[in-house]
Formats: sequence, structure tokens, C-alpha cells
Amino acid sequence: MNQPLNHIDQQIPIALRDELGDRVSGIVELESGLLLAAVCRADALPSAVAWLVEQRKYRFATLVVQALPSGDQLDYWFYKPDNGPWVKLSVRLSSDAREVPSVSEQVHAVDWHERQAEDLFGLVFTGHPKLGDFVLHEEWPEGINPMRPEFNVFKPMVEKEVDPQWRPEKILHTPGAFLMPIGPVYSDYAESAQFFLETVGEDVVRMIPRFFFKYRGVERLAEGRSVREVLLMVERFSGTSAVAHATAFCRSVESIGQVAIPPRAEALRLVAAELERIRHHFGLLSDMCHSTGMIVPSADIDIMEEEALRLSAQWAGHRYLYGLIAPGGMARDFSQSDMALLIAQVSRLADDARLLYERLQFTSSFLDRFEGVGVVPNTNAQRLGLVGPIARASDFKTDLRVHAPYGLYRQCPLEAEALESEGDGYARIRVLFAEVFSSVELINKAMANLPTGAVITPVEAVVAGEALGSVEAPKGAAFHFVRMGGDGRVARLQMATPSFTNWHGFHLAAENFAFQDFPIMMASFGLSIAESDR
Amino acid sequence: MFGWFLRGAGSRVKTTRYPPEFDSNVGISPGRPIATQFASSQEADNAAVQCPTQAITAHDNMADINVSRCVHCMACSHGEAAMKWQNDYDWATLSGAGASTTTRPFKKSLHIRLVDSGSCDAVIQEIKQLAKPYYNMHKLGFFITPTPRHADVLMVAGPVTSHMRLALKKTYDAMPGPKWVLAVGNCAISGCVFAPSFMAAGTVSSVIPVDVQVPGCPPPPLAILHGLLVLTGRAQEAPPHVTTTIAEVPL
Amino acid sequence: MNIAEFFFLLVLLLSVAGAVISALAPAQWTGRILAICGTSAATALLIAAAIILAGHESIRVDLWRLPVRGMLRLRVDSVSAFFMLALGISFLPAYWFSDGYMRRYLAHYDPRSFNIFFHLLLAACALVLAAGDVISFLLAWRIMSGLATFPITLEHRQDENRRASYLFLAMNEAGIIISTVGLLWMVALAGGHTGFNALHGSLRHISPAARWAIFLIVFFGFSVKAGLIPLSSWLPQAHPVAPANMSAIMSGCLLNFGIYGIVRFDAIILPPISAGPGLVVLVVGALSALIGILYATIDNDMKKMLAHSSIENLGIIAANVGMGMVFTAYHLPVLAAIAYVVAMYHMINHSAYKTLLFIAAGAIDQQTGTRDMNQLGGLLKRMPMLAALFLVGALAIAALPPLNGFVSEWLTLQTILRSEEFTSHFSRVVFALCGAGLALTAALAVTCFVKAFAMSFLGPAHSEKASRALEPAKSARISMAILALACILLGIGPTWVIPTINRAMKPLAANLAANALVPPFFSHPHGNKDFSPGFMHDFAHIGAGIGRNIIPARGLVVLHQGGKSNPVVYAMSTFYMVGVLALIIFTTWLFVRWGTRRRTITISEPWAGGLRRLAPDMTYSATGFSNPVRVIFRSIFGPAIREDSSTAVAGHFRTAISKQRDDGYIVDRLFLRPLTATVNYAAKLLAKIHKPGMVNAYAAWVLAVLLVILVINRLL
Repeated sequence: MNQPLNHIDQQIPIALRDELGDRVSGIVELESGLLLAAVCRADALPSAVAWLVEQRKYRFATLVVQALPSGDQLDYWFYKPDNGPWVKLSVRLSSDAREVPSVSEQVHAVDWHERQAEDLFGLVFTGHPKLGDFVLHEEWPEGINPMRPEFNVFKPMVEKEVDPQWRPEKILHTPGAFLMPIGPVYSDYAESAQFFLETVGEDVVRMIPRFFFKYRGVERLAEGRSVREVLLMVERFSGTSAVAHATAFCRSVESIGQVAIPPRAEALRLVAAELERIRHHFGLLSDMCHSTGMIVPSADIDIMEEEALRLSAQWAGHRYLYGLIAPGGMARDFSQSDMALLIAQVSRLADDARLLYERLQFTSSFLDRFEGVGVVPNTNAQRLGLVGPIARASDFKTDLRVHAPYGLYRQCPLEAEALESEGDGYARIRVLFAEVFSSVELINKAMANLPTGAVITPVEAVVAGEALGSVEAPKGAAFHFVRMGGDGRVARLQMATPSFTNWHGFHLAAENFAFQDFPIMMASFGLSIAESDR
Repeated sequence: MFGWFLRGAGSRVKTTRYPPEFDSNVGISPGRPIATQFASSQEADNAAVQCPTQAITAHDNMADINVSRCVHCMACSHGEAAMKWQNDYDWATLSGAGASTTTRPFKKSLHIRLVDSGSCDAVIQEIKQLAKPYYNMHKLGFFITPTPRHADVLMVAGPVTSHMRLALKKTYDAMPGPKWVLAVGNCAISGCVFAPSFMAAGTVSSVIPVDVQVPGCPPPPLAILHGLLVLTGRAQEAPPHVTTTIAEVPL
Repeated sequence: MNIAEFFFLLVLLLSVAGAVISALAPAQWTGRILAICGTSAATALLIAAAIILAGHESIRVDLWRLPVRGMLRLRVDSVSAFFMLALGISFLPAYWFSDGYMRRYLAHYDPRSFNIFFHLLLAACALVLAAGDVISFLLAWRIMSGLATFPITLEHRQDENRRASYLFLAMNEAGIIISTVGLLWMVALAGGHTGFNALHGSLRHISPAARWAIFLIVFFGFSVKAGLIPLSSWLPQAHPVAPANMSAIMSGCLLNFGIYGIVRFDAIILPPISAGPGLVVLVVGALSALIGILYATIDNDMKKMLAHSSIENLGIIAANVGMGMVFTAYHLPVLAAIAYVVAMYHMINHSAYKTLLFIAAGAIDQQTGTRDMNQLGGLLKRMPMLAALFLVGALAIAALPPLNGFVSEWLTLQTILRSEEFTSHFSRVVFALCGAGLALTAALAVTCFVKAFAMSFLGPAHSEKASRALEPAKSARISMAILALACILLGIGPTWVIPTINRAMKPLAANLAANALVPPFFSHPHGNKDFSPGFMHDFAHIGAGIGRNIIPARGLVVLHQGGKSNPVVYAMSTFYMVGVLALIIFTTWLFVRWGTRRRTITISEPWAGGLRRLAPDMTYSATGFSNPVRVIFRSIFGPAIREDSSTAVAGHFRTAISKQRDDGYIVDRLFLRPLTATVNYAAKLLAKIHKPGMVNAYAAWVLAVLLVILVINRLL
């Protein structure tokens, strides 16, 4: 958002004023018209949000809650896919008020954001049908909310006595129905999460997920730390998309500090992000092949994944590209030979992938397991506000590199967003392969006229302020909200990650499936718990 | 199907020769800083200051490194006070109260249960790599098993979040003896960037006894493999690393 | 009066005495009276049957001459005596079990009337088997059927029970009427002879059409009682609602009367001369077996499951009888003898294990208050004794060696393979299909009883009461132990049982089956003359002669002993099997014990993926266990979806998903409901034609019916 867009929908501010009338006040245009901020009356929030999403086709980005001395402030961030200005609707609560009307009936994507804020801030979203036991599990003592300023971050949590009769809420009423528990320790390499399958035997009717077993409180830990320390955490909370999250965080910080990063750094960031995307997608595809027991293709992709990892380490020093992105640009520069090596290797990997893709398309035993499995219809994808390859496999255009381009993606646009319409496992495979190929093209394009010069603009004293940085992470759109305190330390960090968004969709997509398809569905969604749990 | 068979049969052997040979391929490890002597104590202090995780401590003109806090952030790999970096991977050590190596029957066949107690996913990917063609730990007799009932070794990654503490304990209790614990990654050893905190115990050893520590963020596959070799008392099968100190990264 | 007659009289006297005492004594004594009088009556019956089977004596009593024609006779031949044995095996433990069991009804019902009928039922049953002529048979059958209705309705205040007993009454009455028609027709064709022996002699030359007609009428009349498809609708409804001791009797011996009727009239008195009737019986039997076990597998009510499984077992018995009839028609006397013997073997097996299982179900019901397997679980820890006895019954009914069910099912499947001797391709195909059906039945039976045992006794308790259940009263455990012992003995001693049954089935099997199935391989000092000495030597050399000098009888059951050209022997020995199994288990135990002698054993909670708490509703339910069967055979169950709805708040938040479906009974769907619909339609049509109050019309109807009867009489 630090550079003006080409076409801004000038109608929005006027419409906002006209249509919402007295429901909103204090409409301001920020960042040269790129951001519209308005303060909304709490009771008018649902209708305002519904208008924005239904009439104006806005999409929900994230809900940022801040516990300010004057009272809690809730910012609902929205963006428009076709280069409209971003909209931030704020609700300000008086210092002791905790009740906010829930908007998750109007915009279902807000559901988990509200449940999260309820647990972490102790807010009450009136009208929300399902609150409690989300981020904080039942052993967490009642009434203590870790994101409130008075909470002691360094004091280890004291577990509460738990109710032995506690059960997840069952909604399947049929004789002989039972819950099949999976996790948190299950499968060979699975990340920790729990799933209760509501079933009467073979067919699973519904799934109850329980996440946040891995909740590390990154956002709370970040408060009061320096940018350098927070960056370490932002890279490491979800190691498989380190570049994306580091970029999003740095973009927020740069936006607050009004730092323009050098063009060479922009290009290198694109290269790093796309290299990460290629490696990440190889990992997902390998898991998919594994889930169907296809040994040879999975070994093929495993080899490519490891080669991409080695390439990353050879090129940038770290297999997962940690420590590459820095506020103001890149932490290091690359020589001509480094870049040549990268291009050669990436092209070779793309060729290998192309060969494999062709073979897979003719392996019916593989395709049979994915076709029609874990279908997310387009309407559902829209309703749940899904992001990333999963949304694109359901013909839902969400690629921020196209719809809200940032950095070099403006000058060096993605040719075409990879879209499929079936919304099943096979469609997701096609999307992943298409994105690998387009990433290679992007790298080539960015390298074709790589600017010279510095790779970093030193970020001097960071001023107080707030900004929302967005990137298209390998798994989808990620939004990092950062508020800097005047002391140069991070005062508030809020990350809306693609896995968090998509798990919300996954548990609704996982209905009425055969039990033996569960691992395949999990693999075909390819979501990360670490990224979701933070 | 037959095509896949041919494809599988036709691929070259990719698997690492470690052990017994040292693997010196490029990109298998991020490397790590080693204790470096500087010209002056001022430079050593500078080197210590630039480390965001306080892994470097200065004594006179020596800068020492606390391996279990280093997160390979590369901050000390370049600049005026650059530390020496070494591209090895045999970092694992026996540790703590639990420290013991396996008994003879487990030397050549070891079953491993992995518990993710809040890791970053990258470390899980690296452990996954161990079973994949490039590292293929099966040739050494190491296997991942889905149930702790069959497991001899518990591999723990992550700073042990409070929600996972009970599950980790239960998994450990569900394992039949004799059993060993491998803490993988710096966050499992010291909590790393996620500790101290209200949600993370910080170290695996505060919950269950740890036998072997594998530092790294994330530790590369060969480092984890080295940890398993240390655990089984087979580390001497692999040669000590050839010192391949890489030069300062150009900037 | 000889000893057998004395004991038979004792049975009748004790039963009546029991009934009289029950009527006079207070209600609290009900169980005790049943245990004392009933058990002694059943014991007397067993003694009488044993004496007759031993061949020493028989019962021949002429009661009195009827005013019209014939004489009421009691004749107990060996066939009847064998059925009496099955009767006693079922009645004795059921009476004994009543001691502790009847207490549960005292609070709500007066069980005295139940007691009176339950006592008299034994006498009536004994009389049916003792009847030596058609008239007394029909009389006794009438009495027995009538008496059986009342004990079912002990809990008469429940609608379900009343409905079930009406259905029982109606269908059994219909069966009696049909079979009465058949039997009287027989008498008519035989020129008025009513005695069984006389009938057999004088029916030899009737026309094939009449033979077919009588066969069909008699078979379907009796198949109501045997609970065979398509006349089985009453069975799964009536058996579960009766008190457990009555259910045990109904499944364990009342169903046998249907088989008795079919064997007595369709096989002994009127032996088939063509393959057709036998094939009909076989197909009906095989279908009953398959349908029975399918419904048993998916049913979660333990007694209902057992009732369906009774249909399955009676189907297997009928299939064997049918095979016997076909073999007879094709003049293969040895095979026919084997088939009949196997039928009887399976029948007595079924009496033993089904009585055991029903008693166990009753005891579980009494101790936990539920028969729903979804509500049970974990009973192994609470009632280990009952669990062990139930396990014996379940293994036996699932036909696992070395128990009795295995012997008879193995013989059944082996016998059906002998259709290779036929020249008719049609019969071969029918045999092959039925064989496949029976094999599937055997496989499903294992699923069914694995489920029954696992869901009731293993895992966590799914209800509060199941978690607090205690062992049932001693009477229940003793009666089950007797039956379990019977199951084991019948299982490991087929070489003793088969000759006994063969002797009992002399009218049908001569002495052929015992000779064929239990050849004197090892008892004969010089081997069998049918085999070359070289073969005998080899055969003994490969180990078949191990028990020759140790086991004091022939240990093997042989089905196909081959000929000189093809000396292949299909043989089986549960007797040796027990020895080998015991040896294997013991040595394994020793080995494991030795190997782990230095190990300490720790017992930890079940691994549930690090779950905080594993609740009972997070483990498999009985419905879930059998759901694959339900899904695969969906077209047979024809489930009617009663409810399939889901509610959600604002279209997003799913708050409830309700799915209710009823598995329809295929017999009702395809047979009973169309039949009642047709009858209703016909009745309505008649009502339309019929104009009330017109005397001329009535006269015309009477005339028309008379004409029809005359024409029929003329034609025959």
C-alpha cells in the first residue's frame, strides 16, 4: 500500500457516506486514497459489514483487536479484489465495555476471528452461536485473557482442574453414532491437532476440529520487543512459509516508517518468495502422493523438494530461507553467479516437475483417489472467504499477487491466476502444478532485468504508527497488522494466516466422506497447523 | 503402473553416503558459527551484540557460541564482526539427567515416534526428509512408527506448549521401556525464540527426561540422523567432519 | 409299563403337578417351583429319551379309540426320542435358570399364570413327539401352540408384547390350519389310516401331483413353526418380547417342531421320489439362513439378534433336510443319510448354544436393564464368568473349531459339495448357489458374533448401569455351564455323536452315515478293506494314526473317503484338534513365559493419540461395527429414511444433524405386506358382490361352494 494503485474506485468513499449515513463517522482517506478508515457504531456494525460485502463485493481480510488504554478497538479490514481502496471499519468500545455484536452470520469468514478474540481478549460477541474452547482449551482458567495488557507474559500458565465429563458438542443424532477421536498425536509425521469424526461406522458425517494445541502466543510475545526480535519469531512460527511472513511483517514496518525499499530488493524478494512457493508446493504434492501410496512419484517429488531445499541453502545460506528478508529490503545481496545458479536450477526443477505432472495425469489409480474428494463448491469458498490454491481450485479468484499487487508484482505481473472449477483434490493438484510453473516464469521475468544498486534502505528510528502488510503466502493471503509504539518496539502484532482462514473452510468441507479418504483430504488441503495456531 | 516401475528403477541412487562417509554436498546444512578469535575484545563484543538471541558471548577477544540458542539468523555471518561459519551437521550431544545410549538390541533397529509439541513445521519437514530418498534412514534401521506402543525413541520437536504437555507425557508413558528421548531443534532444547513464555514450557527436559539433543533451527536432516547415531552409540561409524569453513558471505 | 413309559408318565405328572402347585403357591415361589418341578420333569424326559435311544425299549401305548375313525396312539420311535433329547437339553437349563430370573418380574406382574403354562408346555411338547397317529399329533400340536402363546405375554401391559403375541398366534394358527389340511388329505388318500406306520405304507402309490401338493402344503404349514422364509415375520418379533427363559425354549426347541413335522411327514411318511421338493426345501433353507444372519448382524438388540440368528440356524437345518431329500430322490442313500444326520446334528447343536445365548441375554438384561448392545460394553470385567460362558456359545454359533457349530457346519458345506454326483445340471447349479449362500452365511455369522461379544463384553461400558453390572444368580451360571459343556462335548466328540444320531435316524439313514462318516480306520486291526494297505500305511504315516492306540475311539470324521482310484480323504477331527490346540497354546505360553521371565509388566491406559480423556462414546458402537454390512446389503434391508435433516443458524453454523432410518424386514416387504394387501382387496371385492340380507344369494353361494367341492373331489 505504499505506492498508489492505478485505478481506484472513487465511488466507494461517496457511497460509504451516502449509504451508511449515520452508521459510520469520521471517514478518512489514508495513504493517498488507498485506505478508507471509518468509525462504525457498534450496533450498526452487522449491517455496515453486510453492505460492504454483499453490495460492494468487498472481502474480509482480518479482524484486529487492540486493547488500548481508552478502551478496546476492533478494526475490521476489508479489501477489494479489483484494486478498490481497502476499508477499515473500526468499532471503539468504552474502557469497561466488552460486548460487540457478532457479524459472523453476515460474513462467515469472521467466525473464527471472533472466537479467537473472545478467548484472547475476553470480548463477548453477542449473537455468535458458538463461543468458548477455541484458542484456549478447557484447562485454561476462566476469565484470564492473555492478550489483555495486565496479563503477565512470562508467568507460566497454571492449569485448571478439568471437568472429567467434558465432551465436544455432538450434533449428529442418529442411533449408534459415535465420535472417532484422532490426535493430537497421530499418524507418522502429522502436526498436533485433534479431529473428532462424527460417524456411524464407515461414513463420516461431520468433523469437529480442535486446534491451538501448538498455540505459542507469538502475537502476545511480540509485544514490547524490537523489530529484529519479532522478525525472528515471524520467520520461525511457520517455518515453511518464512519468506512470506517475514515479507508481510517487514512491509508493515516499512509502511509505518515510510521507507521505500530499493528496486533490487523488491526483485530479490519476489525471487525468494517464488522459490519458497516452488519448494512449498513440492512438499504438498509429495504428501498427496504419499497419501495414496504412490511410492515412485512421491519419491520423485521428494527428490525435487530436497533439491529445492539445497538450492535455497546454496543460494541464500538457509534451507528454509530464514534471515533473508530484513526491514528495508534484503539482509544480503547475491552475486551474478548466484543468480545464474538459481535460474539454471529452478528451470531444471520445473522441467522435472513438468515431466512428473504429465505422468501423473495418466495414472488413473492416483487420480481416482482425488477426483471428487474433499469438494469445496465455489459458493462455499466464497462464503468462507477461502484463500490460496484451495480457493483457486474452486474457481474463486483470491491471488493477492493479481488482485492487490505489491512490490515487484506490480511491474512484473502474474500472467494468469491458476484457476480450476471442480474444487476437488485433483483440481488442487492442477492448481499447485500450475503455480509452480508460473513461479518459475516469474523468477525468470524478474531476473531478466534485475535492477542494480543497494538491497537495503536502512530503517532509521521507527515512528509510532500502524499498518497492515499483505502478501500472497504459498498457502494463500496473509495479513500482518503491526502497530509500533513510540519506543521503536512492536506494540501490537496480529497475523491473519492463510492456514487459519482455510482450516475454517476445511472442517466444513469435510462432511459426508468415507473414513478412508480422511488422510487424502488432509493431504489435498495441505494446511499447516503451525501457521494457523501461531 | 509399469511406467512408474521403470521410472523408479531408472533413477540414480540419490541417497547420502553418510555414514560412513562424510556428506559434503552443498546445501545440506545451513552451517553454524563457531568460536572465533577476534583481533580485539571490542570486535568480540560487537560480534556478541549483533546476535539477536544472545547465543554469542565474548571473553576478551574470543567470541564463544552457545549452540542451543543459535537460530542460524545469519546476522553474524557477514559484516565487520563476522563469526567463522562451519558447514557441518554433527551437532547432537548426549545431555541431561536422562542421557544414555541405547542397549545392544536397539543398535540396528530403532522405532521412532514423533511428537510435535509446538514446532514450526519446517523441523517436521526435515524429519520427513529422513525417510525420503536423499537421506533414507531406513537403511540404518531407523523407522518412524505411528504408535508409541511400538516406539523405542520419542522424538520431540517444539517448545512444549502447555496444551501439548499432557499429550507429550501421555505419549511418553504409553511407550514401553527401555525408551529414549531425542529433543530435536533449538526450541525443544531451550525454547529458543518462543521462551520464556506463558504458553511454552521452554524445554522438553522439564517435562520428560531427554537423552540426546539435536540443536539447529531447524536442524537439517543429517543433524537429526547424527542425533540418532549418537543415541545408538554409532556416531563413531561416521568420520568427524572435515573442516569446511566457508568464507564470509559477500555483501 | 416299561421303564421308558414310566419316565414318560413321570414327565407328564411332574409338569401337571408343577402347574397345580404354581396355581396354589404364592407368586414369590414361581422361580423355585420352575427350578424344582420343571427341572425334574425335563430330567425325566432326558432319561426316557436316552433309554429309547439306547435301543432297549420304546413307548407303545394305545390310548383310546375315537368315535369316528382311528385310535389315539402314543408311539415313541427313535426319531421322536432324539427330538425329545433336544427338548430336554433346552428345557432343563431354561427351567433351572428361572429360579433367579423370575424375580425381576415380581414387582410388576404376577408370574403365576406364566408358570402354569410354562409347566404344561413341556408336557404338551412331549406329547407332540409321542403322538403316533395324525389325529393325536394334531391334537397335541394344537395344545402346544396354544400353550406357547401365553408365556410370551407375561409383560402384557406393553403394546409391543401384545402385538407380537397376536402375530405369533395368528401366524401359527394359519400354519396349523394349513398343515391340518395337508395331514387330513394324507389320511384321506391313505384310505383312512391314521397311524404313522400305516400311512407310510399306504401312501406309496399316490400320484406325483398329489405328492407335490401334499408336500407343498405340509412343508409350508410346518415352516411357519420352524420360522423359515417367507413365513418368519413373527419370529423376530415374538422371541425378543418373551421372558428370557421362554425365548430360550422358543428358539431352542419349539422351532425344532417345524423340522420335526417336515422330517416326519415329508421325509419319513412320504419320502420324495423326485428332486423337486428337496430342492425347494434346500433353497428355502439357504435363503432363510442368509436373510437370518444378515438381519442378525445389523440388529443391536441382543435378543432380536439371537432371534434372527435362529432363522439362520433353522435355515441351515432345513437346507440339510432338503439335501437329504434330494439325495434320496437321486438314490444316493449314503449321502442322504449323511445329510439327515447332519441336519439333526445341527439341530441339537442349535438347541444347546441358542438356549445358552438366550439365557445369557436374559441374564445381561436382568443385570444391566438393557439388551441394546450400543448401551453395553465392558461386561468382561464386571461378569467374567458370564462372559466366558457367552464366549463359548458365541464361538460355537460362529462355527469356530473345536466347538459343535463347527462340526455341523463343516459337514453341511462338505455335503453340499457332493452335488458332483448328480447328473442333473439344474440340481447342481441350485446346490452350488445354495452352497455359496451358506458359505456367506457362515462368514457373516462370525462377524455377527464377534460384534455381539466385542460390543457387549469388551471396551468401555457405554451406559451407567452396564458399568455397575454384577454376575447373575448362580442358577443362571449353572444352567449356562451345563449348556457350554454340552457345546464342548458335542464339538469334540462327533465320532460318538454321529453314530448315535444315525441310530436315531434309522428310518431315514439305515446305518449308512455312521459307516461313511466315521469309518473304522483305526479301530479295525487290519484297516478298512475299501482301501489298499499301501494307502492305509501312508495315511497312518502322515499322522492320522496318532491317536490310534491312545484315544479309545475313532477320532476322525471323514466326509469323502474316496475310492480305490482316488483315495483322497477329506477328514476333520475336532478331537485331535483340541489336543493340538492345547499343545500349541501351552508351548506358546511356556515360550513366552520363558522369554519374558525377566521382564516387568506394566499396565497402562489404552493409547488414544494423547487424548485427554477417552470417553465411551469415542469408541466403536455396535451400529458402527455392523455398518459396513448394512451399507453393502442396502438393497436387502431397504432402509426407510424416516428423518434426514440438518439445522443451522444463519446457514453457517450447523447445530444438529438428525438421521433416522428403519431397516425394513425384507420378508414383510416382499411377502407379508403384498399378501395382506391382496387379501384385503379380495375381501373388499367380495363385500361388494355380497348383498347383505338376501336369502337367495346366500343359497346360491352355498350351492356354488358345494359344486366346487364336488368337482375337486371328483378330480382327485
